[in-house]
Amino acid sequence: MLKLYQEEFANKNMQFILLDSEGVVIESDQKLFDIPVDSSILKLHPFFESLPALFDSAEEVFDFFCIHLALKENTFTTDIKLLKKRDEFLLIITDLTEHYDSYQSVTQSRNESVIKTELTVLKNLELQERERFKNRFIQNFSHELRNPLTSIMAIIDILGDTKMTTEQTKMLDFLKESNSNLRLMLEDTLSIGMIDAGKLEIQHKLFNLRKFFELMQFTYSAKTKKKGLKFVSFWDDRIPEFIEGDRLRLFQIVANLLDNAIKYSENGTVSFKIGLNQKRANTANLRFEVIDTGIGIPEESQEAIFESFHREQPTQKGKGTGLGLTIVKRLLKLMNSKIQLNSEQNKGSVFYFDMSFKYPLPSESKWSEHGNKKRANIGRKARKKYKVLLVEDDEYVQLTLFKILLNTDSFQIDLAYDGALVLQEVVNGDYDIILMDVDLPNLTGIQITQLIRDFPFKNIKNIPIIGITANAYQENLDKCMAAGMNDVVIKPYEKEKLLNTILKNLR
Amino acid sequence: MHSSKKIVVLGHFGVGKTSLIRRFVTDTFSDNYKVTIGVHITKKLVEIAVDREVSLILWDLEGTDEIESIRDSYLLGTHGLVFVFDVSRPSTFEHLGNDLKIVRNKVPETPLMVVGNKSDLVDKAELKTVLDENELSADFLTSAKTGEFVNELFLKLATLLVGDA
Ligand SMILES: Nc1nc2c(ncn2[C@@H]2O[C@H](COP(=O)(O)OP(=O)(O)OP(=O)(O)O)[C@@H](O)[C@H]2O)c(=O)[nH]1
Ligand SMILES: [Mg+2]
Repeated sequence: MLKLYQEEFANKNMQFILLDSEGVVIESDQKLFDIPVDSSILKLHPFFESLPALFDSAEEVFDFFCIHLALKENTFTTDIKLLKKRDEFLLIITDLTEHYDSYQSVTQSRNESVIKTELTVLKNLELQERERFKNRFIQNFSHELRNPLTSIMAIIDILGDTKMTTEQTKMLDFLKESNSNLRLMLEDTLSIGMIDAGKLEIQHKLFNLRKFFELMQFTYSAKTKKKGLKFVSFWDDRIPEFIEGDRLRLFQIVANLLDNAIKYSENGTVSFKIGLNQKRANTANLRFEVIDTGIGIPEESQEAIFESFHREQPTQKGKGTGLGLTIVKRLLKLMNSKIQLNSEQNKGSVFYFDMSFKYPLPSESKWSEHGNKKRANIGRKARKKYKVLLVEDDEYVQLTLFKILLNTDSFQIDLAYDGALVLQEVVNGDYDIILMDVDLPNLTGIQITQLIRDFPFKNIKNIPIIGITANAYQENLDKCMAAGMNDVVIKPYEKEKLLNTILKNLR
Repeated sequence: MHSSKKIVVLGHFGVGKTSLIRRFVTDTFSDNYKVTIGVHITKKLVEIAVDREVSLILWDLEGTDEIESIRDSYLLGTHGLVFVFDVSRPSTFEHLGNDLKIVRNKVPETPLMVVGNKSDLVDKAELKTVLDENELSADFLTSAKTGEFVNELFLKLATLLVGDA
């Protein structure tokens, strides 16, 4: 009985075929498909075409697994066994379609997910590589731009001191503004590069936040007025005047937000608020808020505007790199804060962030104010005229330096243009400082400096000397310092920089 | 004269074995991926010269990243082999040298074509760097999608096999 059952079930999915040595069917039980006796099995499916090659083999049993047989009437996935029986061959074909189909779906999802993972990883690597390349490029590029830009700035300054028609002055003003915009963009770009490269560090120094607020008030009421906008500002009097933080970065953040607000508002009001969230023993949590009544930002773009080079309106003629908000976002992240945005299209936007600052106890801040006063006194002391010896052979440079120094009304200037004459002047002149062209023709500035430093009299050998050179290579600068110069200013210099260097080194 | 030659197409999964055969046999292509389980066998008659035809019996094997595990019975009596990798996926050619060694061990002295497929996905210059970096040399860089070098591949192998006979 069992044998009967066995036959009933076991044989159901199997077909037995007997072949001769040419592959011609001798007998077949036709369980799976019909194949006429005397026909060649080679014609049934290309799989069987490979059988004759095995007929001559020394082996007697061959097992093929998972062979897909697409026949006229039906399609099977089968295991096929070939047995050598004297000069006949027995084929046993087992239909395992169901079994293999389930295996198919498992393999399908496994393979797909492996491939997908690999491609995602590759894609990420590629993106990272591009990002690195982009950052390197931006950093190098903006760095290279700094020098020519500085030169332009200096020349504009010098030009501004020459006699010009009103029209020329106007053009120069325009040039100046364009150039300073360009410079701001460059600084923004560099900041981004530095943040991305992890090179930007946040400083924590005591500064006067109230003054900071007033500066913003002053700067931005002018800027908004120019565009016909109203400017409103708010300061909570409970906020400590002095706080510890990174004034420069805070400025960069707030300025970017305000510039942005102005850029995207055609009329209405731009507001700037500093409010107090909370005050503890020596920390204060403040809210900085910039509100505009501009075009607003549609909900779907509210994330994207913080990405590099995004512009809400690409056609907007507004200036900027499109980096402003990216910088805001990244700087705030560095400062453990986060930019928040509420915006409605055509109504306006509110950008705000909260930040905690340490602040000194009242006695400490008095001390700081005292420090400030002291510095102011130095400034007043500077009103007395200093004696400057200018050693320079180029007439044009003489002229511009004269102008810069005389305009401050703090200096009295003597001129020497030959190395040999300089020493004589120095001995007789009682100078407070010497400005020395490094690249003089006969005796170089470096040689003259060495001679002065070798003088036996203290009041002469210690006169501060500032070198002026066009050669910005470190090697040259090192030589200047080694010869005994107190400082070196590189041409083209900005007026401010030169004056600061002089003031710093006055004895 | 008419002869028939068995060619086994193998390689890692998803590299485009089935697609290459489909392009060669029916000149079509599909973006959908349907895993091959076991083996699918098709046949194509090719004319390698005037009055010189050969039937290629193409065995399209299930892909695997363990070449070692390929069932020996599939390789029995094969005349030629095509080993396919995917130029856009390093995992399919990272161990190419070793994979080929395993194959050659299983079927020594059987003509073998090494094929980098999906050439349409990688630009030519980049492809060259990829190949050089990995010290790969492929007999053909094909695209089942565009059809590039697919016929050339099978014709060259067919010619080689018939010449061998
Ligand atoms: N772009 C492109 N895609 C291809 C090419 N060849 C195959 N593909 C795609 O790659 C996927 C896998 O192709 P298949 O031909 O099924 O790969 P296989 O090697 O047979 O895969 P297994 O049977 O699992 O081993 C499919 O989505 C195809 O559309 C090609 O040349 N170019
Ligand atoms: Mg396949």
